Amino acid sequence: MKRYPTRKLLGLVLLFSSLASAADEPPVPPDEFVYCTVCHGVQLMGNPIIKAPRLSGMDAWYVEQQMKNFKKGIRGVNPEDPYGYVMQPMAVPLTDAQIVAVAEFVEMTVSPAAEVTISGDVDSGKAHYSTCAACHGIDGKGNEALGGTDLTPLNDWYLVTQLENFKNGSRGGNPGDIYGMQMRAAVQLLTDDEAIRDVVSYISTLRND
Amino acid sequence: MKKNLSRRHFLNLVGAAGGSTAVYKTSLALGLMQDTGPVAQLDLKNLGRQKRKVAVLGAGIAGLTVAYELERVGYDVTVIEASHRVGGRNLTVRHGDIIDELGNTQVCNFDDDPDLYFNCGPARVPGHHRRVLHYCKALKVPLQIKANLSRPAYRHDPNEFGGKPITVSRYIADARGFLSELLYKAVDKNAFDEPLTADDQERILAFAREYGDLAADGLYKGTERAGRKSGGFVTPAELFDVIDVKALLSNRFWASGMTNSENPDWGEPLMEITGGMDGIIKAFVNNIASPILLNAQVQSINLNSETVDVVYNHKGERRKIAVDYVFNSIPTHFMSGIPNNLPREYKEGLAALTPGNFFKIGFQMKERFWEKEGIYGGMTNTNQRINQIWYPSHGIHGQKGVVLGAYAFFTQSDFFERMTPEERLSYAADCGDKIHEGYSSYIEAGVSVPWGRMNHMMGCGANWGKPGVRETYYKLLQQPAGGRHYMIGDQISYHSSWQEGAFGSAEVALLDLDSRVRAESGETKKG
Repeated sequence: MKRYPTRKLLGLVLLFSSLASAADEPPVPPDEFVYCTVCHGVQLMGNPIIKAPRLSGMDAWYVEQQMKNFKKGIRGVNPEDPYGYVMQPMAVPLTDAQIVAVAEFVEMTVSPAAEVTISGDVDSGKAHYSTCAACHGIDGKGNEALGGTDLTPLNDWYLVTQLENFKNGSRGGNPGDIYGMQMRAAVQLLTDDEAIRDVVSYISTLRND
Repeated sequence: MKKNLSRRHFLNLVGAAGGSTAVYKTSLALGLMQDTGPVAQLDLKNLGRQKRKVAVLGAGIAGLTVAYELERVGYDVTVIEASHRVGGRNLTVRHGDIIDELGNTQVCNFDDDPDLYFNCGPARVPGHHRRVLHYCKALKVPLQIKANLSRPAYRHDPNEFGGKPITVSRYIADARGFLSELLYKAVDKNAFDEPLTADDQERILAFAREYGDLAADGLYKGTERAGRKSGGFVTPAELFDVIDVKALLSNRFWASGMTNSENPDWGEPLMEITGGMDGIIKAFVNNIASPILLNAQVQSINLNSETVDVVYNHKGERRKIAVDYVFNSIPTHFMSGIPNNLPREYKEGLAALTPGNFFKIGFQMKERFWEKEGIYGGMTNTNQRINQIWYPSHGIHGQKGVVLGAYAFFTQSDFFERMTPEERLSYAADCGDKIHEGYSSYIEAGVSVPWGRMNHMMGCGANWGKPGVRETYYKLLQQPAGGRHYMIGDQISYHSSWQEGAFGSAEVALLDLDSRVRAESGETKKG
């Protein structure tokens, strides 16, 4: 269940639709969120050239959690995570209320599903995924209560980077990041690059949008 | 029923069937263009009563050039700029200006004084950058000489000469003395592959003596070219000791600055625009009547058979403009984040380029302390991470001045990007203290400009360095996709991160457009 009250979302929708040329079109980002789109692309569709992942449709609760991790320096401060470094200073000046607003904006953006760019063995990946499913759900859509985010909006190349980051400890190595530490432990089951590619390829099959 | 085919429609069909290469071959653009030498007037065909709509994406040098040239010959131009300002990477900051770095917005805290400015992007114009100079002349933008090399400035290496800087003149004179002495000895030992006549030998010896200022016996014993340790005017000149050869070599100035002015782009004398490099931007803005929309971010680009649709957000609304031609200077590395239907190969070309990067710091100094050391303009070179310190060529003997306090190239910029703005300034101040006594005590204000983190930039120019990329995609990206979408900017040139590259890309695109427009009306351009 989402933590975000419907009233608040409705308010945002009304705000956006009054500005947008057509009510059914995705939101025109307010000025303060244009920053996000510079790297993450129009409607946060992602930009693989500068390694800015697709964000559209991600769970707001998870975006809020990760933005707070960036802000606190729990994420994005390890030299082995150069793209996290690029992101980290963006969160620092934001207030908690602004972080909530960013998370709501992210959840509302609409863009085409991420392209498949990684090819691995889907059957082998499915076997690996059985462990992941405990928190991220059989359908990959996540489970807020367990801190498992929806994996289906994410780029496969980004999933690979993050699994590698969890493996090498550049993410999930900070005791302030409880879910990250759980993830770091779980990812050790993926023993090599091939296993990572396989499981990511399987996750790509879970997208239905 | 068979429809009559207009010439324009025919060209579009050729483009659709044969890909952009086919259309390109009908164009004479590159054949009409001269890449060196005086700039010819573009002589674009005036549209007269015809209507053609153009969208220019990005109000940097390339975009403004296109807008300026096309509106003069009757095109209906709209410039769509994502950021809050015009100029792109031609950015000169003064008192109160915003430096829009992602996550670290800075406000320039220099004094409110027209002499106290910092060129964050382009800062030097060599005489062979004919397009830059053509537009400066045409738009009456004043230039002045800018010293780049300064012989009394320093080469500094914390590990050599007890960490003390030595003058550029001393290093260069001794390096040449060393080399000349070797040459002299080689003649003595007859160490040449070809037999030398007595005349040849004499000429080489004379050359060596002159090149290195050797003594009559062919040995290098120091020279006034190194600068004098003391005297030389009303008391006898005292020479510096000759630098030990091993120290000369281990101090790697020979690899990182000594030959800079032999690169034509940095060759003396250089110029700069009087009052700040953005003088050219202000001149364009004053001479362009077409609308320039700021804070207008492109959302999609769609090529159709007769038009190009550009969707952009402006003032909280989503707007669409349908145009005949698009001139797109959006950094290529952003194009993968903007929905578009450009041809697959074209997209692959855009995606094959990666962003370049540069980083600069500017310090306002409360006193022009360098002038007391005999330095007027030019730069000091160090192998600390700041690389260089530049001294202003203007405002000589005034009270204050703005120096460049760091200039990091490409991936060197990462080191500074990862710091807060305050940390960067403090780091660069410490480096300066190792070169000039009391350097940091003169600093009153400072700005840092990491192009890899600047809003709507996230880089500086395009990197074509991956093997095969230039060969595979350069000509393709110089051509208009579908005959309507031109990629422009310094990124589409052999001179990325130079204004001349941006002007050149605009010229290529304009001449190509003109050849198409003339072809459609049955004309050929006199070549």
